Amino acid sequence: MVPYIIKRVLHGLMVLLAISLVVFFLLRLTGDPVMALLGQGNPTQEAVAAMQHALGLDQPLWRQLIKFLTDLATGNFGISFRNKQPVMPQLVERMPATMTLAFAGMAVSLLVAVPIGIQSAVRRGKAIDVLGRVFALIGISFPNFWLGIMLMLIFAVKLRWLPASGYQGFKYLILPAVTLGLILSSIITRLIRSAMLDVLRQQYVQTARAKGVAERTVIYRHAFRNALIPTVTFVGLQLGSLLGGTVILEQVFSWPGVGRLALDAISNRDFPMVQGAVLMLSTVMVAINLAVDLTYGFLDPRIKVGGKA
Amino acid sequence: MFKRLSLKVWVVALTASLLLVACGSGSNAPAPAPTKTDSAPATLEFKDTLVIGSQYGDPQGSWDPIDTFLLAWGEVACNIYDGLVDRGVDLKLKPGLATEWKFIDDKTIEFKLRQGVKFHNGEPFNADAVVFTFTRLLGPDGKTSPQLSNYTSIDKVVKVDDYTVRFMMKEMDPVIITKLAGYGAMIISPKYYQEKGDAFFNTNPVGTGPYKVTAYTKDSQVVLEANPDYWGDKAKTKKVIVRFIPEDATRVAEFQTGAIDIMQTVPVAQVKTLQADKNVKVLPVGGPTAWALRFDISKSPVDKLEVRQAIGYAIDSKTIIDTILSGNGKLISSFQGDGSFGNNPDLKPLEFNPAKAKELIDKAGAKGAKLDVFFSSKAVIQKEIAQAIASYLKDVGLEVVLNPVDPQQLSGTLITEGKAGHMYLFGWGGWTLDYDNTAYLLYSKGQKWDPYFNDAKVNELLTKERTSTDPKVREQAMKDLTVRLRETMPDVPLYQAVAVWATGAKVQGFVAPPDDRMRLAPVTVTK
Repeated sequence: MVPYIIKRVLHGLMVLLAISLVVFFLLRLTGDPVMALLGQGNPTQEAVAAMQHALGLDQPLWRQLIKFLTDLATGNFGISFRNKQPVMPQLVERMPATMTLAFAGMAVSLLVAVPIGIQSAVRRGKAIDVLGRVFALIGISFPNFWLGIMLMLIFAVKLRWLPASGYQGFKYLILPAVTLGLILSSIITRLIRSAMLDVLRQQYVQTARAKGVAERTVIYRHAFRNALIPTVTFVGLQLGSLLGGTVILEQVFSWPGVGRLALDAISNRDFPMVQGAVLMLSTVMVAINLAVDLTYGFLDPRIKVGGKA
Repeated sequence: MFKRLSLKVWVVALTASLLLVACGSGSNAPAPAPTKTDSAPATLEFKDTLVIGSQYGDPQGSWDPIDTFLLAWGEVACNIYDGLVDRGVDLKLKPGLATEWKFIDDKTIEFKLRQGVKFHNGEPFNADAVVFTFTRLLGPDGKTSPQLSNYTSIDKVVKVDDYTVRFMMKEMDPVIITKLAGYGAMIISPKYYQEKGDAFFNTNPVGTGPYKVTAYTKDSQVVLEANPDYWGDKAKTKKVIVRFIPEDATRVAEFQTGAIDIMQTVPVAQVKTLQADKNVKVLPVGGPTAWALRFDISKSPVDKLEVRQAIGYAIDSKTIIDTILSGNGKLISSFQGDGSFGNNPDLKPLEFNPAKAKELIDKAGAKGAKLDVFFSSKAVIQKEIAQAIASYLKDVGLEVVLNPVDPQQLSGTLITEGKAGHMYLFGWGGWTLDYDNTAYLLYSKGQKWDPYFNDAKVNELLTKERTSTDPKVREQAMKDLTVRLRETMPDVPLYQAVAVWATGAKVQGFVAPPDDRMRLAPVTVTK
């Protein structure tokens, strides 16, 4: 188990290194950011040169790359081109907002998807199944910004139950979390339903029933646990993606998360901030991928994590 | 089957009813205050807090005047800081932290400073603060400042006594007084800045303005509190919250719920709806930003004057303003707004004359030519304008290829490197409200914004207006310049942008600012 984890961590570090290189070169392909940073004035050649020097952009590319990688090795993501402050604390500062929304959205989605998915499979073809499938179809079909704005119009503008946007407390979280949760739950519902349908056809489920095990136990202990594996993979990867910021929803609900920061950084040609945001997201994804793989062992003892087949 | 059908019907009905609730008719006004059943109060009561929905995102995490050129900064920060010179909401210059000034000679300006003024932290304002502010901007700290290029005509600022300073200029700058009302010239507190450091100052700024910053959450909001020691007319509302709500639909929703009292930038599609609502005041205002279709004259066939003129005649700017902008724009004859010093009211906007355009295209032998138009991919309006232009040009025999690109890429790289096609849609802020700012940067020889345009007469007129401090000489030179630019046509001026603000009916004292700088001190909201 331990050698496996070490191997996977090393593998993850290789992935992160590759991503660092890709993001580094891609950003520099977009051209010199100095003119954008200096705005709509008429900077002299000296001003442009001074800015390039101050930002290290006058150095040869290989030297910029070495500095970038050595800084990274010490956990330094660089200094923002815009506000001249270290990138890392600014990213970390945004994490609580992003994590709150990501976990709340995921919680909503599981609360909705698990019971609907299970019941759709168990009562296949019945009303609950039709409702579940219609719900999933609607969820997949709606763009999240549209759903967000519709919920805002209904619950904030018309009914006045909730605030439309902002980041000031629990009630401000409800609309973005529900929007995110409903969109996610539509996919998870379908996933659970099909996984459950597969599992319910297995012989061990029939055996359990034949032995007279209570239906509830058959469904939740025997079937659902086995149906969880694809779901956990999906949920894990989705959570990783959400922790990188839900750019559009953050924009719609004025939610000050990592996504908005990254989006602004891209618009503003703030290379260190973009690099930092991408790397942070990648690190979260790599870590969650590993965590998901390790979880398999707990969900299904037959899967030996790191063991030989 | 029946069960399934009924379920579907139920789902459809539920969805439809939710949509109806969302889209249903009703007042778009902010929530009316609960009606009191007892008699109305004898005097007006004011709210303690004013909430504003800004269309901009965050000012990139810094309230330091030399870190920025963003309107997101200026609209709030003009309440936090003061400059030596103040530009009012009427765009007229007036004394700010300087009570008077005079030109000792072409390269020396003396300012008498206002006495008894304190920064928000209690530190006194004096000549040392002015010297510190400009030494920082012009020194090593300002090297990476986007503001530096606006003030490079200043050599240094020297203290004469505690309340007198002299600006020693490297060269004569006829627009310097206007520039001293600009972002980079806002006076900061030397002791506070030096003690707390740059990073702290970025998020906890201190100035002499009518409001001080008490809380700031990046990408969310900034909270301002009235400065009780303000030297001018004190703020009437105790607390102001400026919320950053860049999403149009969200900002409108917040306004409709009454969560914000003042909304910046009503989306074009919502203007008529809000105008019809008696609980809402809709305030359109012409700003300094103008839009033009600019040519890269190094490329064929727009290197030919006839083709550029033909394109100018082919575009119906009035219809673009009336339809795409729903009337929220003004026709212009040169690339500047009507409030700009140097605007020439005698020069009429270019006429829409497709027949003449066809004739010129035939004369130039350019019929059927394929032209690339670049424009910002982020603004829907610009996309629609580009499409309209493509259609107008098709009518006169030119084919247009539309190239939407990232706005920063467009202005930061493509235009300056000559890679923005034959022509591009270009907006210019003209923040000094003096045509010099636009004309010199866009039309003088070898400028980065237009490296290929070079006209001897244009250069001569630009030199003339730049080397005089006589407003009459300058104004005439710039008016002559507008005529010469019509003859040479390096761009087709399209329109002056009109921004539309909205406030609830209970908001008093707010004037929609043409330069986006909200003057909040006189604003009140009745309960």
